Amino acid sequence: MSAVPALDAAAPRKPWLADFLAGERRAWLFVLKSVLAIYLGGWLAMWLQLEQPATTMITVSIVMHPHSGMVLAKSFYRALGTLAGSLVGLGMMALFPQQRELFLLSLSLWVALCAGGAMLYRNFMAYGFVLAGYTAAIVALPAVSNPLNVFDSAVMRVSEVLLGIAVSALVSELVLPERLRPMLRRNARAHFGEFVAFVRGSTAGSIPREAMEDAQLASVRAAVQLEDLRASVIFEDPEIRLRSRRMRLLNQRYMAAATSFHSLHHLINRMQRGGSDAVVQALIALYRPLGVALTPAPGQPDDGLDSLAPQLLACAQALPARAAALRAGLADAAAATEFDTGAALLARFVDELHAFVATEVALRAGAAVHGSVERVHFSRGNDLAGAGLAVLRTFLTMAALSAFWLASGWAFGSSAMLLATIFSGLMGASPNPIGAVTRTLYGYAAGMIGAAVVVFGLLPGSDGFVMLVAATLPLLLIGPYLSTRDTLPGVGAGYTLGFVYILALKNPMVYDPEHFFNDAIAQLAGLALSGAAFMLLPGLAGWQRRLRQLRRLVWLAATAPLEGLSWRFESLGRDLLLQAVTHTRPGSAESRTLLAWSLAVQESGRAVIELRQDLAAGELPPAARATCGAAVQAVAQLYRWPGTARREAADRAVDAAIAVAPPAVRNHLYQLRSALRDDESPLAAAVRAAAPRENAHAP
Amino acid sequence: MPREIAFYGMLMPGLLPVFVGCLLLMVLLDLLLGHLGAYRRVWHPALLRLALFVCLFGIAGLSLIR
Repeated sequence: MSAVPALDAAAPRKPWLADFLAGERRAWLFVLKSVLAIYLGGWLAMWLQLEQPATTMITVSIVMHPHSGMVLAKSFYRALGTLAGSLVGLGMMALFPQQRELFLLSLSLWVALCAGGAMLYRNFMAYGFVLAGYTAAIVALPAVSNPLNVFDSAVMRVSEVLLGIAVSALVSELVLPERLRPMLRRNARAHFGEFVAFVRGSTAGSIPREAMEDAQLASVRAAVQLEDLRASVIFEDPEIRLRSRRMRLLNQRYMAAATSFHSLHHLINRMQRGGSDAVVQALIALYRPLGVALTPAPGQPDDGLDSLAPQLLACAQALPARAAALRAGLADAAAATEFDTGAALLARFVDELHAFVATEVALRAGAAVHGSVERVHFSRGNDLAGAGLAVLRTFLTMAALSAFWLASGWAFGSSAMLLATIFSGLMGASPNPIGAVTRTLYGYAAGMIGAAVVVFGLLPGSDGFVMLVAATLPLLLIGPYLSTRDTLPGVGAGYTLGFVYILALKNPMVYDPEHFFNDAIAQLAGLALSGAAFMLLPGLAGWQRRLRQLRRLVWLAATAPLEGLSWRFESLGRDLLLQAVTHTRPGSAESRTLLAWSLAVQESGRAVIELRQDLAAGELPPAARATCGAAVQAVAQLYRWPGTARREAADRAVDAAIAVAPPAVRNHLYQLRSALRDDESPLAAAVRAAAPRENAHAP
Repeated sequence: MPREIAFYGMLMPGLLPVFVGCLLLMVLLDLLLGHLGAYRRVWHPALLRLALFVCLFGIAGLSLIR
C-alpha cells in the first residue's frame, strides 16, 4: 500500500491538476473582472443619475472578453458604431415622427444594412456595425410613443452605452490584465520554429500529399491568426503599433516562402511520379545543404537564431555553383531543363526564406528591417453574396416583427425588435448560426429564470448597493463562468445578457411582475424569430461557391495590376481558404478538396505572377511577349472554368510560349506546364468531371 | 471659460472639447513614449497611461475652469 503514495510523491507534479488549476484560475479571473465591470458600470450609472443603468450593464456584458487587447479594439469600434447609430436613430425620428410605417421600414433597412456590413468585415469592425444597428434601435424605439423626448432619450442611451464601454475597457486593462502581446509573440515564435523545423525535416526527400495539406492548413491558419492578433494588439500596446508595419512585412515574407516551399515540393513529387529519378536525386542533393543551414549553431542564446540568417545567405550564394556541377552530371537535355526549373524555384525559395529569417531576427532585436517595404495590406476575401443575403434576412425579420407589432398593437413589440436586431447582426458571421442562436436562447431563458428568482425573491428585502450586489451576484456569476467553457459556446453569453436585461435595474427599482413576464416573452420571441430567419434563409451553401472564389484567384493573378499583387494574392488566398475551412468539418472530403485546390491555386497563381513580373521587367520581342501573355490568359481561363477543351488550349498556349521565351522566363512556364499536366491535382479531377457534361452539350 | 457651450442650439458641457483635445494630445504622447521605449521600464503600462491621461485632463480642465 505504501508504495503507491511514494510513487506519487516522487512524480514532479500532477500535470492534469496543474492544467486544471491554471484553466480555472484564468476562468475565475475573467468572472471576477466581468462582474466587477458590470457592477461598477451599474453603480456609476446610478451615481450619474442616468435613466437606465441596465443599458450600461448590458453593454458591459456584451463587450467583456478575456483578453484586454480584444476589449480595447472592440471598444474603439463599438464607440464609433454607437455614435453613428445614435445619429441615425435621431435622424429617423426627426424625419418620421408621425408615420410609424415609414419609421419602422427605415429602421429595418438600417439594421439590415448594418448586419450586412458586419458580414463584410472581420473581427471587431464587425462589432462596430452591429452596434450601429443596435444603438439606432435602442435610441429610437423607446421614444416611439413620445417623439418629443427623443433627443433627451438619445443623449441618455449614448451616455449609458459609452459609459459601459469605458468601464469595461478600463477594468480589463487595469485589473490583472491578460495581455495579448505575449500571446502574439509566443504564437509568432512557435510558427517560426515549426516552419523552420518542417523545412529542415523535409530536406531528406519528398513529402506525402497529406502531410503537405496539413502543413498548408497550419501555415494558412498561422498567417491569418497573426494578422488578426496584430490588428488587436495595436490597440493594447503603443510599441507594437510602431512595429506594426514590420510585422506585416514578416507575415508577407512568411507567406511568400511557404508558397514557394509547397510549389517546390509539388514539383519534386511530380517529377518522381514522372519517372525522372536522376533529376529528383540531383534536386534533392541541391536541396540538402539547406537542412544544414537551417540548423542553429549549438549553445547560442535565442535558439541560435542569429546564426541562421548568415548561414542561409551563404547557402544561397553557393547555390548556383552547386547547381552547375549537378547539372553537368545529368544525361540528356530534357532532364537538364527539368532540373533548371526546380533549381530556379529552389533559388527563389532560399531567397525568400532568408528574407523571412532576417526580418524575424530584426523584429526580435527591435532593429530596423532592411529591404523594400511594399505597401503592405492584408487583403480579405469578401463574400458579397453572403452579405447581401444577410441584409435580406435581417430586413425580413425586422419587417415581419414591425408588421406584427403595428397590426396587433403589442405593447412590448419594441423589446422583441431590439433583441432581433442584436442577434441577427451578431450571429450572421458564425459558422453555424442556427445552433448558436438555439444555444443562446437556452442561456437567455435560463438567465431570465435566474433574474426572476432574484427580482421577486431576493431584491425586495434588500437595501442599498451592497445588498443589491449580494442579492444578484450568486446567480450572475454563472453566466461569465459558462462563457469560459469551450464546450458550451453562446450559453454563457446568453445567460449573462438575459439576466442583466430582464433585471432592468433602476434607481429606484420597480417591481412589476406583469411587465416582467410580458417583457420576457417579447424578448424570447424576438430572439427566436431571428433564429427562425436563419432557418428560413440559411447562409449560402458554402464550400463550392468558396471553391470558385478560390479558383478565381488565378484569374486575379493573371489580370490585376502588378503593383502589390503578390501580397494581395497570398493574403486573399489564405483568408478565403480559412473562411472556407471553418465552414467545413475538419478532415472531411470537402475540407481535403479545398486544401488541395488552395495548394494548386497558390502554385499556379504565384508562377503566373512571377512570369508577369519577368515579362514586365525583361526586354522581350513583342511577339514573344504576346505569346506568353496568351499562355497566362489561357491558364487563368482554365482555372476559372475547368474543362477538357480549355485544358488542351492552355497546354498548347504554354508550349507555344516555351518555344519563344528566353531561359529565365521559360522556367516559370515549365513550372506551369508541369502543374497543368499533374494527374493527381484537383484541377485534373475537375477537368475529368467536366468532360461528360461537355460531351453531352456538344452539338 | 463657459460651463456650457451652445452647438447648433444644443447645450454641451464646456469640458467636452477639452476632453477631446486631451485625447488627441494623449495619442501623440503615447506615440512618443512608445518610440522611446519608456513603456518597457514600467510595471503597469496601462495604469501609467491612464494616470497620464488623468493628469493631462485634470491640469487642462482645472486651469481653464478658473
